[in-house]
Amino acid sequence: MNRTLISLASGAALLAASFGANAAEKLTLQLKWVTQAQFAGYYVALNKGFYKDQGIDLTIKPGGPDIAPAQVLAGGGADVVVDWLPSALATREKGLPLVNIGQIYGKSGMMLTCLKSSGISSPADFKGKTLGVWFFGNEYPFLSWMSKLGYSTTGGEDGVTVLKQGFNVDPIFQGQADCVSTMTYNEYGQVLDGGLSNDELILFKYEDEGVATLEDGLYVLEDSLKDPKKLDAYAKFLKATIQGWEWAAANPKEAGLIVLDYDDTGAQTEEHQIRMAGEVAKLLASSGKGVGYLEPAAFDRTVKVLLDSDSSPVITKVPEGAYTHVVFDAAAKL
Amino acid sequence: MLNYFASSLHLGLIALQLVLVTSAEAGFYQRSPSLILLLLMSFYAVAALLNQLTQLCSSQPNQARYIKPLIPTIFAFMLILAWQSIVEGYAISPVLLPAPSSIFDALINNLPILWADFRQTYLKAVLAGYLLGCASGFLMAQWAVKSAFLRQGLVPLGNFMSAIPIVGIAPIMVMWFGFDWQSKAAVIVVMTFFPMFINTLTGLQSTDALHKDLMHTYAASKSQTFFKSQLPQALPFIFNALKLNSTLALIGAIVAEFFGTPIVGMGFRISTEVGRMNMDMVWATIVVAAVAGSLSYGALALLEKSLLFWHPSFRGNNKH
Repeated sequence: MNRTLISLASGAALLAASFGANAAEKLTLQLKWVTQAQFAGYYVALNKGFYKDQGIDLTIKPGGPDIAPAQVLAGGGADVVVDWLPSALATREKGLPLVNIGQIYGKSGMMLTCLKSSGISSPADFKGKTLGVWFFGNEYPFLSWMSKLGYSTTGGEDGVTVLKQGFNVDPIFQGQADCVSTMTYNEYGQVLDGGLSNDELILFKYEDEGVATLEDGLYVLEDSLKDPKKLDAYAKFLKATIQGWEWAAANPKEAGLIVLDYDDTGAQTEEHQIRMAGEVAKLLASSGKGVGYLEPAAFDRTVKVLLDSDSSPVITKVPEGAYTHVVFDAAAKL
Repeated sequence: MLNYFASSLHLGLIALQLVLVTSAEAGFYQRSPSLILLLLMSFYAVAALLNQLTQLCSSQPNQARYIKPLIPTIFAFMLILAWQSIVEGYAISPVLLPAPSSIFDALINNLPILWADFRQTYLKAVLAGYLLGCASGFLMAQWAVKSAFLRQGLVPLGNFMSAIPIVGIAPIMVMWFGFDWQSKAAVIVVMTFFPMFINTLTGLQSTDALHKDLMHTYAASKSQTFFKSQLPQALPFIFNALKLNSTLALIGAIVAEFFGTPIVGMGFRISTEVGRMNMDMVWATIVVAAVAGSLSYGALALLEKSLLFWHPSFRGNNKH
């Protein structure tokens, strides 16, 4: 009799404990690209249990060439997405109200990598050349840059010929393009690995040309911010994310190895991931308030770059309410 | 009389649904779910109308040729009306599924862009690739029918080639032939060569032995035998391949444009506008592709009909 009572009681206690564990808030994060050290901070926070400590049960969904994070968000497949500000603003203007709740990268890692042998030494030499550009929402800063320089992007003598670059750097090796788009932390490494040396290349960083736009940031649907419970979960998520990024920036080698553990495809290599983790650490938002804080001046600069582009406008008017510091402030108080 | 009364009732129901969709503010099904009943009733009305039209077709055969095209038109209209109603009624985000009306707007407002894409993809890549692929498949079959060595060597390779994925060869062709339309045409040549080759070969081999003997007794030359006997008998097979290839070519060109292109073309447009969340533009391009594909298929079917009027598969259909 006693025994059954004890077992019942312990069973009830176990049940209660498992309920307690289940009470962790479930969130899903959709990445902009495949599992790689570009997202080291999230994987580090997951691996080191930072999310768990905040009571967040996080699922990370890797992206890929055919995945538009905003579409996943709209379809209910994720709560938070990693996206670049230009495409987030474009999506917002299309009627899907994305809101930035935290900015991870303060600097842009995008650049045009040109062959010195093509005779390019400054943007004035782009005339008549063929440039490789990524599309799928990543072309906005480029189009705005060209319109600032006064080049048409439809080819001809006075313009530049634009080649839609696949997600690799082949065109520069095959002589099909004089310049290709690269990220400091990813494709530039591929160019070097492919056998071109630093001396043969000339780099134009968007950051230096004054046409940089904000890249990896965290976005949610506007309506979800009205729910106090959801807001609380976002704050906890952001807090743990910031912790993860700070750890990753301090320990790029270990961060690269952690990312490698989460890569199910087996496509990434150790050397590449460690190099990438080191490069992305240089891009993290480093202004007064640290990683995760969206600097309003940087936001305004991105909007200006986008509005300046006169060919195929990305956005037609200055966006309202496209970012909020509510989540960041709440996270700071945790 | 009753019939007229019923049809006007049906038309009224459909008109009412149309008014609801065009005038009500988005999200009307969410506010008053009972409105969905009207949609169901207009489904019923359309079904009843189509029923009457088919009956009319058989009772008045002289007018059948005017009534017949009405039936699929009304059916398509109803599908579009239901699509529009559900997207508007439940206020579905345009990022997930745009309403037909906004697709139509995108189509009308972007005609110059869509035309440039069509010229790049269809008039350059598809036509060149299709003609080259079909012609080389046809010519190769002429040789193969005479040489057992070619026949036995190439036919098994056909299966192998048709299993090659486009996404695999497209980047390779971009490397070989550059990123402009030539590489897309090359992908199409690879895709269309073997269907044409195998069909033509089968067609040429199916030539009746009696015909051959007859041509021989006429002392026909080789080219006479080919044009008067072999080719006409192979034509049904060749048209099969031509029709099959016309859709393959368009798919091949569009998919191949996902890998390295100049910034024009239907495949480029689809992959870029998806990234920009311009789903209405993506759908508008899909409409253009579907119309172009159907028209070229239809044109081939018409040509086939006029060339093969003597063939048993067409002779039977000329009842009036």
